[in-house]
Amino acid sequence: MGIDSVGTSDAEVVRRVLAGDTGAYAALVARYRDRLARYAVHMLGNREDAEEALQDAFVRAYRSLERCDDAARFGAWLYGILVNRCRTTGARAAKRGRVFVRDDAALNGVAHASAAEQTEGEDVVRWALARLTPEYREAFLLKHVEDLEYEEMARLTGAGVSALKMRVKRAREQLQVILREAERV
Amino acid sequence: MFEADEELVGRVVRHLRRPVTVDSALDERVMEQIAHLPAHRGGGTARAAWRWLTRARTVRLSPLGALAIAAAFVVVALSRPDRFYRAAPASAREFGFVVVAPRAATVSLVGDFNDWDAARTPMQRARRDASVWTAVIPLTPGRYRYAFLVDGVSWVADPAAPVARDDEFGTPSSVVTVGGS
Repeated sequence: MGIDSVGTSDAEVVRRVLAGDTGAYAALVARYRDRLARYAVHMLGNREDAEEALQDAFVRAYRSLERCDDAARFGAWLYGILVNRCRTTGARAAKRGRVFVRDDAALNGVAHASAAEQTEGEDVVRWALARLTPEYREAFLLKHVEDLEYEEMARLTGAGVSALKMRVKRAREQLQVILREAERV
Repeated sequence: MFEADEELVGRVVRHLRRPVTVDSALDERVMEQIAHLPAHRGGGTARAAWRWLTRARTVRLSPLGALAIAAAFVVVALSRPDRFYRAAPASAREFGFVVVAPRAATVSLVGDFNDWDAARTPMQRARRDASVWTAVIPLTPGRYRYAFLVDGVSWVADPAAPVARDDEFGTPSSVVTVGGS
């Protein structure tokens, strides 16, 4: 049986999946795929790892769906799983020394306002973001790109609000230094 | 290219906030993968009831009442200690993992036994030596690759264990082999 991925609430879809309608889960995947992809691509720096983390997060969420305490907040719960997966995938990638290489496929996947804006600025931003530590990058993306409140970030990351505020502040400072250096080159 | 600091960060954020799309084939891969998993079997209502029953609540007790409840727990725990361990397969044996990481803020044990998920087995500082991190987990007989993840970024193989030669990422992790009883 099909399901309207736009009009049906997360809670209703979760209820149907838990009742045995596995196919209904496709609506949740379609609903959150691109939203979560942005975080994963920016956090991991390349499309291959981002898609792997994203796919794994969706599968893990399905397997653990009964542990989602508040089905209406499925999105936030899923986000937490992805944040963890990105941490693990990023650590693995760092271990094998291939994180944050320039990835043309990822760049091409970005919807640009104009072709002219795709070039230098985008590359520099990605390069600068990649130079942050994973903790700073994670905090910066969650706060400024995903626009989360610190309390929500704390729930997702397990870090304290004060620590997160400090990470965001340091990330902003470091980005400024890195980008100023880039300007002078 | 960039002006004042706030404007500079603002530009970064605008770049990063642009939508990112991924191949819709990802949906198919996810659905294909979960098709091989057991379907959920309508446990939603029972689960909700269980969550209601087990939800944390604030309970006010008189000192005497608290003492009585604590004593009751001690008596029950002493009489049936097996009830207070997490259920594990009968063939599982508890294995301790230890690593020395004096400057670490967090250490996780990751391996084949927990899908290399850093969130599932955080290690604890030893009471007598804060530089020593430990974790004890049940393992059924088999061969497991594992490593320690320090501060969420640094992978450390166990210096006291054999190196895994078949690590899929080209860098050594460690191996523990659990024999049958």
